[in-house]
Amino acid sequence: MSPIGAMLYREAKIRATNLIFIFWDVINPLAYMLVFGVGVNAAMGSPFASGEVDYNAFFLASVLAMASFGIASNTSWSFFLDRDNGIFFEMLTYPLSRSAYMLGKVIFTVLVSVVQTALTLILAATLFRIRLQPALIPLVFLAMIVGTAGWFFFYSIFALRTRRNDIFNTVTSILYFVFLFASSLFYPLEPLPKWFQTAALVNPITWQIDLMRYATIGIGSARTVVIESIAFLVFGLASFIYAARCLQKQE
Amino acid sequence: MGSYALEVHDLVKTYQSRTGIVRAVNGMSFNVATGSIFGLLGPNGAGKTTLLRMLTTLTQPTSGTARLLGFDVVKRPLEVRRRIASVIQETAVDLLLSVRDNLLTFARFHTLDGVTARERADEVMERFQITGEADRKVQDLSGGYRRRVQVAKTFMVRTPVLFLDEFSTGMDPILKRSVMTQLREEARAGRTIVLTTQILSEAEELCDDILIINKGRQVARGDLNALKLLSQGVYEVSITFDHMPEGIEAELATLPTLRTHKENSTLEVALKAPEGEVFQAVAALARDRRVLRLEVNGASLEDIFIELTQNEVPA
Repeated sequence: MSPIGAMLYREAKIRATNLIFIFWDVINPLAYMLVFGVGVNAAMGSPFASGEVDYNAFFLASVLAMASFGIASNTSWSFFLDRDNGIFFEMLTYPLSRSAYMLGKVIFTVLVSVVQTALTLILAATLFRIRLQPALIPLVFLAMIVGTAGWFFFYSIFALRTRRNDIFNTVTSILYFVFLFASSLFYPLEPLPKWFQTAALVNPITWQIDLMRYATIGIGSARTVVIESIAFLVFGLASFIYAARCLQKQE
Repeated sequence: MGSYALEVHDLVKTYQSRTGIVRAVNGMSFNVATGSIFGLLGPNGAGKTTLLRMLTTLTQPTSGTARLLGFDVVKRPLEVRRRIASVIQETAVDLLLSVRDNLLTFARFHTLDGVTARERADEVMERFQITGEADRKVQDLSGGYRRRVQVAKTFMVRTPVLFLDEFSTGMDPILKRSVMTQLREEARAGRTIVLTTQILSEAEELCDDILIINKGRQVARGDLNALKLLSQGVYEVSITFDHMPEGIEAELATLPTLRTHKENSTLEVALKAPEGEVFQAVAALARDRRVLRLEVNGASLEDIFIELTQNEVPA
């Protein structure tokens, strides 16, 4: 088995044999869609806000982004755990390079997000009767792949630089709160105060959500989406470069 | 490649600390013969773990070279990693995996096929008495069991060199003995074992070749007999009285002791003095007292270690 294959084998074993990961990777985002989405949809009525769509359709891209963000966060938590208990350092003496280690982690994370995307889209189309745009579905998958990889690299920086478990947990909880709430994830930005809009517009998860909202239900302008996609690519690339540097420095 | 599994030349590792540059390893040179058990001994902070981390490609040396089976640890790290298995100081195991999956995953990294890996896992678990815990997650096991799993992994593969950093930490005496027997068997079969330990009896029993280091420098090197020659004039005296004499501390204070230990009615003293003086001292300690048992031996590895690391005798 190749080193990357062995990494995928290990990650798959860890994920498949621990219910906690299955819950956070798969069930949690779907539960948001099924419970929170349905609840808000019923409360708001339809159509919702400026998009002339119901809340379930509006929230679909959010669920995907939340899944992408959550899966990356979970992998980085297991990454931190690896470092905290020393197996990470022992693994660096296995016959694999540091880049193979990182690549194995990111490929596995992306694969989970692809499965989650397929599940979410099927559920959205069948249960909520959301009218998806078939021609743009590959773009949804692409946004999930790039998005999940970007978030994984971003979180890896904290997994590699934080020494203490309590600090890591606090940092990731704050990030989760800030990124998800100061964004277009739960609500459209137009009715929000100016300072909130500004914060949301510089939030990479807004960039990812806007692209996916455009690709799933056609809301948003193509020009804005292109600019935001480029911005997200830059964010992902910068995170990757810094994470790779942190990884090389691990001794 | 010669008859050496490991060739280390003038290896240096420095770190930048708040107070300045720390030379954790300061110009070490040594070779390790193929199929031998090589012990690295030293007090805390001597540089043993840093040295091991460089040899296992985990840390890059600041200068100097180290070659494992002919492969440079800096220039050809992957070739080196294919030929080693290592147990680092931390209890490094996959907490979220079962005992069996820990072994199987490790085997996958070393390119063992599934059938061979499963067969070997069963055999190794039997040897390490962890078959009963095979399907339990490691996070649910005690520290001692976790350490067993960590050491057991290295027996899953047949890499020519094995590195063990304080391998017996947390092991019970029976398991430790069993692992030591297995290590000797591995060495007899041609596997080279490099270990660090602070348990000197372990090194005394296990190692063919010992390197004592202190403050990043080598202090002494050789097999046990050669090291004992370095410490000529050190004697271990053990006297069991019918009861521990009162005021014996004052008498001991006048003797050239390296260490003393009192337990119940037994007094153990390491003395550094010519043979005649040692016997005079023993006679003085025994005078007018009822002695049940008396033993005088040459220096143990512990005495040599204390003497060499405290006095910092250069190699």
